Amino acid sequence: MTAVTQPSEVDGKKVGPAVRISDLTVAYRTPAGELPAVSRINLELAPGSITGLVGESGSGKSTMALAMLNAVQKPGRITDGSIEIDGLGDVVSLAGKRLREARGGEIGYVFQAAQNSLNPLKTVGKQLLDLARSHHVEDKRALVRQAKELLSRMGLSGDRVLDSYQHELSGGMRQRVGIMLALVLNAHLLVLDEPTTALDMISQSNILSIIRDVHAERGLTTLVVTHDIGVVAEVADRVAVMYGGRLVEQGPTTEVLKDPKHPYTRGLINAIPRLTGDPEVAQPLPGRPPTLGTIPKQGCVFRERCARYAADPREDCETTDPVASEITPGRLVACHPVAAGLPVEVSVEEGR
Amino acid sequence: MSESTVDDVVSAAGDGIRGRGIVKTFKARGNVLAGSTVQALRGVDFHIPPGGAASFIGESGCGKTTLGRILAGLEDYDAGTLSVNGVDLTSLSRRKRDPYFRRIQMIHQDPYSALNPTRTVDAILTDPLTLRARQTGRPKSWIAKRQREVLSLVGLEPDYVLSRYPHQLSGGMRQRVVIARALTVDPEALVADEAVSMIDVSLRLGILRLLRELRETVGVSVLFITHDVATARYIGADGDLYVIYRGQIIERGPTETIIANPVHPYTQCLLSAIPVLHGLEVPGADRLTPTEPLADTQSDAGCLFAARCPFATDRCRTERPDLAHHGDPEQLHACFYPEQRRVVAVSA
Ligand SMILES: Nc1ncnc2c1ncn2[C@@H]1O[C@H](COP(=O)(O)OP(=O)(O)OP(=O)(O)O)[C@@H](O)[C@H]1O
Ligand SMILES: Nc1ncnc2c1ncn2[C@@H]1O[C@H](COP(=O)(O)OP(=O)(O)O)[C@@H](O)[C@H]1O
Ligand code: SF4
Ligand code: SF4
Ligand SMILES: [Mg+2]
Ligand SMILES: [Mg+2]
Repeated sequence: MTAVTQPSEVDGKKVGPAVRISDLTVAYRTPAGELPAVSRINLELAPGSITGLVGESGSGKSTMALAMLNAVQKPGRITDGSIEIDGLGDVVSLAGKRLREARGGEIGYVFQAAQNSLNPLKTVGKQLLDLARSHHVEDKRALVRQAKELLSRMGLSGDRVLDSYQHELSGGMRQRVGIMLALVLNAHLLVLDEPTTALDMISQSNILSIIRDVHAERGLTTLVVTHDIGVVAEVADRVAVMYGGRLVEQGPTTEVLKDPKHPYTRGLINAIPRLTGDPEVAQPLPGRPPTLGTIPKQGCVFRERCARYAADPREDCETTDPVASEITPGRLVACHPVAAGLPVEVSVEEGR
Repeated sequence: MSESTVDDVVSAAGDGIRGRGIVKTFKARGNVLAGSTVQALRGVDFHIPPGGAASFIGESGCGKTTLGRILAGLEDYDAGTLSVNGVDLTSLSRRKRDPYFRRIQMIHQDPYSALNPTRTVDAILTDPLTLRARQTGRPKSWIAKRQREVLSLVGLEPDYVLSRYPHQLSGGMRQRVVIARALTVDPEALVADEAVSMIDVSLRLGILRLLRELRETVGVSVLFITHDVATARYIGADGDLYVIYRGQIIERGPTETIIANPVHPYTQCLLSAIPVLHGLEVPGADRLTPTEPLADTQSDAGCLFAARCPFATDRCRTERPDLAHHGDPEQLHACFYPEQRRVVAVSA
């Protein structure tokens, strides 16, 4: 099988396809009606970049990851928007055979809890052959060779792993097997949902360097979904911060970490336990992340927890859902006072 | 002897919790290693003073949970002694031992599966409190009062949560309910095994601080098990940090000392693996990576870390280093070649 999304060359280096997500809305049917888990999201993945999508539980990250493959399951559906992938077209309008081929073909993915998503009754090798069958791979031998090469690239013995069942592999090994299965059909776009969650720090660091290396070597465009800002900081060129189904801030990772603009991003970074410095500097964010049913219907979704709003309650925060505005090139923030050019820091004490 | 007398003995101010030479061996799981044994703990010594804190860090499978379960009485140990306020539990009959273990409460990683989804917070707390009232001869009216007390202690508004079911609460609130339930037995210690890893990032610090506050307000001690070294600082900078590798403590000392000046290569690898917040931090100059991943097949001869250690020598492969002092008299390490290295990220 030849992939349609050939990597293009930039400065002699292979890079993955560009991806343009426009006005993407994904909703789940609930007893309270159809509610959006992802709301009018706009996000571009630059060719060859690693983007980190970060947010807390229920912010809509996994829903986004599934949408990238047009694989949102009932009771959910993509209600609006498009996901244009260079060489493949709009994934949202793909269907049937073409869609099945794209999944695991041009678009490689490792879903959340990949650690438990391998089939417990089949060896990894058998599952590799299943993948070959479902994607009509002619040359199975070449595929196995490719799989072993990827596994050894990730520090595993190909022969041993292909003969193993899931329970014979550690968490870190399963994650690597997941990445192998995602890439073995020559994917150019890679979607990883929580690739290191539940791993210890050393295994995590190992997986993250594998992701970085494989991304560069194979010329990919990669989306890493995680709740852990540390993971984003280690692998991603760009970060997109999600809250209540919205992208509230995006930009180059180091810039966003150094100088977060959205009150949520600020609060989140300020809540990270750190290894050095005064522990008392870090502060938990008051309140709690919303769930589908509790996302405010009107105004800014972060309002209830927002220190900026508490210190300076603006009417537009209550009435209008802020849209992302580009405050400097490549830096987008969805917050009314930030868009108006006002300072983000307003006497935080009043907000507590 | 009535239960309350035993409680009085347990709460008598004393030595706290002490483990000496705790050994635990399991039969290996899986077909590959069938027949062999796993040395989950190879003679672990630790001490948690009353109201104190001790954190255990180490890779997956190094024995942290096993130690926590032994401490909570959920697992037996093969050798060594475990004492609570000077009473050696090892020599007690099961019946005499149980009341001590009941007052060492486990807080698990997943607050959702720890709570019965069909019961309200009210019911979840009423059961253990009813038992407690009976044991200590308190009147029924005490139950409702105590219920509100423990909820306030964990920072929950009783009127808001009492009538609710676990699924109606956030992860952070659920974990607070779990902690409140643990407090109903007036525990001597809480064993928190990855207790914040499933909590939303914005709420984690709140739970860590709560555990620290409880050390002061109710004098409970905390055994904190984690992959995330940074969180150990928030349980109490005054506590000790234990670095465990393949069932052996390879470095220990005051938390801040070990984080700032680790001398064991394994500790240094662990601290090096913590993500650097590029933009806010720069990596430590001497960041260290193990030469190989952890494998079941690695040798038991010599230093347990020798197969993965960048500095291993022939001596390391044949001789096992014991815990010894280096610099700070409170810092112990098990390495022939201890050396300070700058591995932790520093503020940019
Ligand atoms: N019931 C059991 N039967 C057999 N082996 C066991 C059992 N429980 C634990 N072990 C083994 O004992 C060792 C220590 O396991 P333990 O669960 O204490 O590690 P841990 O440090 O808590 O790891 P993690 O960070 O992954 O939670 C491992 O090799 C594990 O496989
Ligand atoms: N199958 C489903 N049915 C109904 N609601 C769902 C379903 N899957 C997810 N949701 C809801 O959609 C929101 C976003 O979920 P998800 O994308 O899994 O978030 P994340 O990955 O950021 O934790 C949550 O409120 C979640 O409860
Ligand atoms: S729009 Fe208003 S409520 Fe929303 S984050 Fe900005 S200041 Fe806070
Ligand atoms: S004793 Fe040798 S192998 Fe063990 S940690 Fe020290 S230097 Fe490394
Ligand atoms: Mg998810
Ligand atoms: Mg464990």
